[in-house]
Formats: sequence, C-alpha cells, structure tokens
Amino acid sequence: MDIKKSQLDLASTKKNVDNTSIGRRDFFRKTAALSVTALAGTSLLASEEAGDPAILKPTPWGTKWGDPVSKNLYGMPSKYEHNVTRRYTKLLASGNFRASIAVTPLQDLSGIITPNGLFFSRSHGGVAHIDPNEHRLMITGLVEKPLVLTMKQLKRYPSVTRTHFIECPANGGQEWRGPQYNSLQFAKGFMSCAEWTGVYVKDILKDLGVKKEALWMLAEGGDSSKMGRTIPMDKVWDDAMIVWGQNGEALRPEQGYPIRLLVPGWEGNLCVKWLRRLDFASEPWYCKEETSKYTVLKPTGKAIQHFYANEVNSTVTSPSPEIDWTDLEDGDIVEIEGLAWSGMGTITGVDISFDGGKNYVEAKLKGLVLPKCWTRWSYMHTYKKGQELILASRARDDNGDIQPTIDQETLVVGVEAVYHRNAVETWKVEKDGKITHVEIRSQLDRKGKGPLFIKGEA
Amino acid sequence: MLKINKKLLISISAAAVLSLGLSACMENASPTNSDAAVKASIDGGVSYPVENGKTSSYDVNTNAHGADVKYGRTPTKAEYDAWNTDIMPDGTGLPEGHGTADEGSDIYDAKCTMCHGDFGSGGGGYPSLAKGNAYDLHKTLTNQRIKPNDDGPVRVFGSYWPHVTTLFWYIKDAMPHPMTGSLTDDEVYSLVAFILNANEMKIDGVEVDDDYVLNRKKLLDVKMPNRNGFEPNIDGPNGPENVRKFYANPKNFGGQTYDVKNPASRCMKNCQEPTAKVVYIKNGGIHDFHPPLSNVKDLPKVKNTAFNAKKAYTANCAMCHGAEGMGAPVLGSKADWAPYIAKGMNDVYKNGIKGINGMPPKGGSSLSDADFKLVVDYIVNQSK
Repeated sequence: MDIKKSQLDLASTKKNVDNTSIGRRDFFRKTAALSVTALAGTSLLASEEAGDPAILKPTPWGTKWGDPVSKNLYGMPSKYEHNVTRRYTKLLASGNFRASIAVTPLQDLSGIITPNGLFFSRSHGGVAHIDPNEHRLMITGLVEKPLVLTMKQLKRYPSVTRTHFIECPANGGQEWRGPQYNSLQFAKGFMSCAEWTGVYVKDILKDLGVKKEALWMLAEGGDSSKMGRTIPMDKVWDDAMIVWGQNGEALRPEQGYPIRLLVPGWEGNLCVKWLRRLDFASEPWYCKEETSKYTVLKPTGKAIQHFYANEVNSTVTSPSPEIDWTDLEDGDIVEIEGLAWSGMGTITGVDISFDGGKNYVEAKLKGLVLPKCWTRWSYMHTYKKGQELILASRARDDNGDIQPTIDQETLVVGVEAVYHRNAVETWKVEKDGKITHVEIRSQLDRKGKGPLFIKGEA
Repeated sequence: MLKINKKLLISISAAAVLSLGLSACMENASPTNSDAAVKASIDGGVSYPVENGKTSSYDVNTNAHGADVKYGRTPTKAEYDAWNTDIMPDGTGLPEGHGTADEGSDIYDAKCTMCHGDFGSGGGGYPSLAKGNAYDLHKTLTNQRIKPNDDGPVRVFGSYWPHVTTLFWYIKDAMPHPMTGSLTDDEVYSLVAFILNANEMKIDGVEVDDDYVLNRKKLLDVKMPNRNGFEPNIDGPNGPENVRKFYANPKNFGGQTYDVKNPASRCMKNCQEPTAKVVYIKNGGIHDFHPPLSNVKDLPKVKNTAFNAKKAYTANCAMCHGAEGMGAPVLGSKADWAPYIAKGMNDVYKNGIKGINGMPPKGGSSLSDADFKLVVDYIVNQSK
C-alpha cells in the first residue's frame, strides 16, 4: 500500500505527467484490468488512452549510467527519501537541544529493525563524539579485582547478539490528560528496535570476585552529563549487556559510541550511553535521573522509583495520522498493521478493536517473535467508504500482562505520572479516510485528596 | 524452555482488586503451578535462562560463557580517584568544603541564571530549581489535574527530591551544563546553599539564609520533605527484595493481567467502561514538529545556503543576549557592550569562540569560527 501511494505521489509531482482524462484511480483500475485481460489475449490493449508515462517514456535512470561503485563508499538512502527522518519538537527540548529527544518515524519503518540513522536520539548533555582509542571502561567498588579495559580488550570477550527494543519511558508521556499529537511519530516514536552485539556484563564480572554485599551497580557515562543510573544485581546476573554493535555496525554516536549499557526491556534511560564506569555497592545511589525524573507520581502522593521494565504495549502503524486511507475505495481489502512490544516478556498475541476498545477480534502476529523485542502484527480489513471507525490494538505477553484501558491505568497511577503509559491507543478513521488521534476515557473525579474514581460511579 | 512467571506468585485477591469491575473478563487464573517456588524476576517480568543451549529463540555457545576469559588490568589509585566522583546519601564521596547562599548567588548569576532563570525559576525548556517554600509545595504532590482548573503537583528539588546529596553530585559532575566539571567543591557548596535558600529550606530548624555557612556536616543534616515519598523502599539489605515484591503485583503500577494458560478467557466483549467517551485533541494539540511531517517522495528543495547572521543570532544567542537578567550583555545595549568592545574585537571573538563564564563555546552553536565572527559582528553593530 505504501509503495502504491508513493508511486502516486511521485507521478503527481512529475512535470511531464500525462494529463489526460485518466484519473489516478481509473488508471490503476485499467492497469489491473489490462493485466488480467492480457492473459486472456483480448483486444483491450487497443485502448485509445495512451497510458502511464512512467511506463511509456524512457527514464534517465534507465538509459544513462548510474554512479560508479567508487562513489558513496558509505551508502546513503535515496535522495527521494529525504522526508524520512527523526523529528523533534521544541516542547520536549532544553533551549539549545542538548537535553532533548528526536523521535523515530515509525510510519516509515518496515519489519522490526530501526535503521541506525533513524534510531531515536536522547541525550542529557548533547551527543558526545568519543575517540575510542581514548575511551576506557572501569569496573570498581565491591569487587575483589577492580578492572580497566580498553575498547579493544572489551571486544575480546565472547560476544552475544540480541534483538531488543529500547523505549524511553516517556513514550506517550505527554498524553496522560488527553491526546496531544496527531502523529504516530510523536505519539509513539520515543522508541526503536535494533540487533545489538556486545558482551554480557556477567561474563566480565565472573573473574572479578563480586562481593556478596554488592546489591546494586552504578552505570555512568563519559559524556558531559555523566548520566548515571542504579541497576539491581539481578539484572546484571541475568541479561544486562555492554554493547558496541548496532545492526551490524558500530553504535552511532547518538547511541553512545563506542559503548553503551543495554538492559533488555528496561527504560531507555537505564541503557547508559558513552558508558565509562561500573561501580558496585550495597546501597543505591539516588542518581539525578532516578529521583528528579523517571519516577511515577501517583494520586497518593507517593512516586514509584526504580520502575524498570517498559510494560506491554502496542500501536497501529498503518493506518495512522501519517498513513491515511483517503486513497481507498469502497470494498478495498487493506492490511492494518502495527507493532507490539513488552519489556516484561514475549508478545503472545494482539487484539484489534474497531469500536475504541469495547469489542475485540484477534489479529495475527507476523515475522520473528522474540523476547523484549518489537513484534509485527497484521489484520486484513475490508474498507467501507464513509464508515467511521475507532481503531485500537491491545497486546499481551507470556508474562500474563495485557494492555489496560486508559481508565484502568489512570485510576491507579493518576494523570501526573509522566512515565510508563501503556494504555490502549486509538486512531479514529474519519468518514473521508483521514486518521485522527483520539483517546477513549471516562471523566475522573475525586473527593478531596482521596483515590480517583470514575465520575458518577462514586 | 523454562520461563519464570511472576504472575504465578501473586494472590488471587490482588487479581480481584485489579479488574475494576471487569473481573468476568480479566484474570481468572489461580496460582496452582509448581513453578511458584522459582524466584520471580525483579522487574515483574519473565526471564529466559539458557536451557539446552538456547535462550528463547537464540542459540548459545555455552562454552563461551563458562570460559576463563580475562583481559584488562587493575586501575591505579589515581585513576580510580579521578572517576570515583559519585556521592551517596550517607555522605560517601561527599568532600569537605563550605559556602553561603550569598556566595552562591554570585556564581549563580554568572553561570546558571541564563538557563535556570532568576532564583531558579526556570524557563526556556530548562528545569526550575525552586518554586517557593519546599515544605508547602511538598503538599501539592497529591494534586492531580483531572479537571480543567486543577493545579498540578510541583516537582522541584525542594518539594520532590529525596536526597540533597543528589543535588551536590549532579552540580559537581554535570553543571554548568555547557562546561561541566568546572566548579570547585566550595562553589558547589555555595550553589547548594543558594538553592536550599531559594526553596526556603531549613537545616535542624535553622533557615538557610543568605549568610548560612553550609558545610559537609550541615549538608548531611538536610532532611528533604519528600524523603519518604517513594515506593518501593530500595534502601538496606532488603532493598532488592522489596523491589521484587512491588513489581510482582501489577496493581501497584496500574498493570492488567490475563490467564496465560487460558488466553481465550481474556476480555473480548464490552471491555470498556460504559462511561468512556471519545476524547479529541484540544486546541490543535502539539504540532510544532521539526521538520514538518511529510511522506512525499520527491527531491529535497535546494536550500538557500547564504549565511544569515541575524537568523543565526536568533537561533543560538537570543536566548541569553536577547533580554535582561540572563547575565549576558543584551543586544542593542550600548552600555552593556561598551566595556567588551573597548577591549578590542579580537577578545570578543576569542571569548565567544572559547566560551566565558556561563556562555558555552560559540553559545552552544555548531557555527564555523568564520560564521560565528559574523554573528558577533552583527551583535556588536546593533549595540554601538
């Protein structure tokens, strides 16, 4: 569907487009008819209509030399793809964009791998450009044998390759009190997914004699913000990694080149970039980013701290505000596609609703289904022209988690949580096929500082 | 494949509270499985230990992870000390030193106000450091903006942070933002005193006024109003176990569950509250996107590459040089600029390129030296 649409867009921007009486729609109808009837060998080919210049006219790229292989030794996307980029908004940025985020164009992605140049970028003191020759990893604290490693030495440890998403827990965090973004990229793009290569932290620690009293690990970056976070030893002994490879090449500077911590399924903020130090202690550190930020304030006035895993979540990626259905005709069969992910396990299924999450039918998963990884899902739908729909997807995982409704989630954590919003997301299909971001929720009420309840259900 | 499932550990009573009147649809599981003896993951999720050479779908070279691989060397004491800058709530790592709010105020005006505003009021996308009396504002943490005119909770250092050591550590390591690691310990004590003062805080019942001398001992006596405002309790030898228990119960964080062994029992009909309505984006929502959204496949427009000093000024410099009170000489003010111009343009260029006081190198821009000088010329010409 995307390809068809992009071809249409291309055709419409070409100056030499054949402006005959053939409407776009008719044209494709006829093309389809041609291909069918051609098999039957009929005389429809004698149509008076000239046809599509994209087929009839010789193209420069089809008749002239292309680039020599000596050009673009590091390949770049087609110049026609220049609108496929990360994007930012000033509302989510410090004044000079050094403590900010640029988010991933989910609408333009296929499969479960985010290209490195489109992987969402979040930093606290700007993107550091570290000379790998001058970078060291130091491991200290409650260990018998403290250690310093060069990057070359680090890469001598046996490597592990895993595909995991990384999600900023503020994904969707601007929409606790109502929808704000009419955009998939901004409503859900604070995340990306890549194949990572590195070493298990536990494989390095094995020889260092970690003391029994060590309950926590500090991971600290070597960038100007010295971003640090406290990680419990359970995760260190399970699947925490130090990674240098991203989708087959070195990490991009935006992802912490030369190395970052990867704690699969957990808050992106815990995956400390530009990693230079691991320290072990019996008490947690209370780093700035785990007390002033990345805490979930509940209506009780208590805030959840050390909220690690990104909970089960999903979104419809097509259609979306960026990929609408305005070009569909009545009766067209169209694929509804989306992503599902869970930091607590492996996706086991996704349900789709056409009435805003009231009633559901089961969608199909497709492609690789891996733990703590993006999972593609799909549902074939027959489009009815002029019909309004409210599309919602609801994912579940092998841990027994299923996405809550907005009401279920906000009744417990309120609307001031900022982080970890994973309630069901909804797109409204308008009569004209445009897609609008909406939320399905009840008006909340409260007596004094008491618990929240649904208005009228006190 | 062995999976450790925390849901088997939670009691059915927790599940009943969870379901918000939809109990017919959600979670009919009862904890009967023998896996219940296995310790649940600390994050409330599943873990995938290696079994028969595999973890989930991945093959594992089990020889690789049992091997006696050793690289690297022991750090020297000097190396350890150079990076061991963390400061813990019990004072581990906190250096001796002292300073007053009055001294902090001078440093703040020179190096902090351009981003954090007068008295830590914030602005320009940078965080506020104070919004008034910390003890009063602490009471706002139960606020929830569920109706249009509700006040929200105020989360600033004084009202929200559990430990003052975090503030010292953060300023020492990561401030001023454009030139981190440039403050002395005494300067950091002064700035912490200034911020305590701006939050109208007390130490042992004594107000941190302008002349209060803050030192290591006094700093460790600071009792933050929100010290006990967080869950789970992560302190002490039971910290990790408290965390594990907390996340084993999705009720604590608004999670919902279904019966993994009988997924057909999940809610498929009437899964919304009858009161739930469609809520639309209000007032156009947020649409300040850069670059603007587009999925058109065409050739990029050729950009006008001629350098525009005024535009570069607006984008990179106006934030601090555009208004008074930011600690920087203001564009158009002859009085502000005269002393700098008097020192000669070479000095003005040099200080701008290298950065001075609170000004980051080239104002934090990525302009070339030549272009940056054109911007300096623009500012100076407007200010003569």
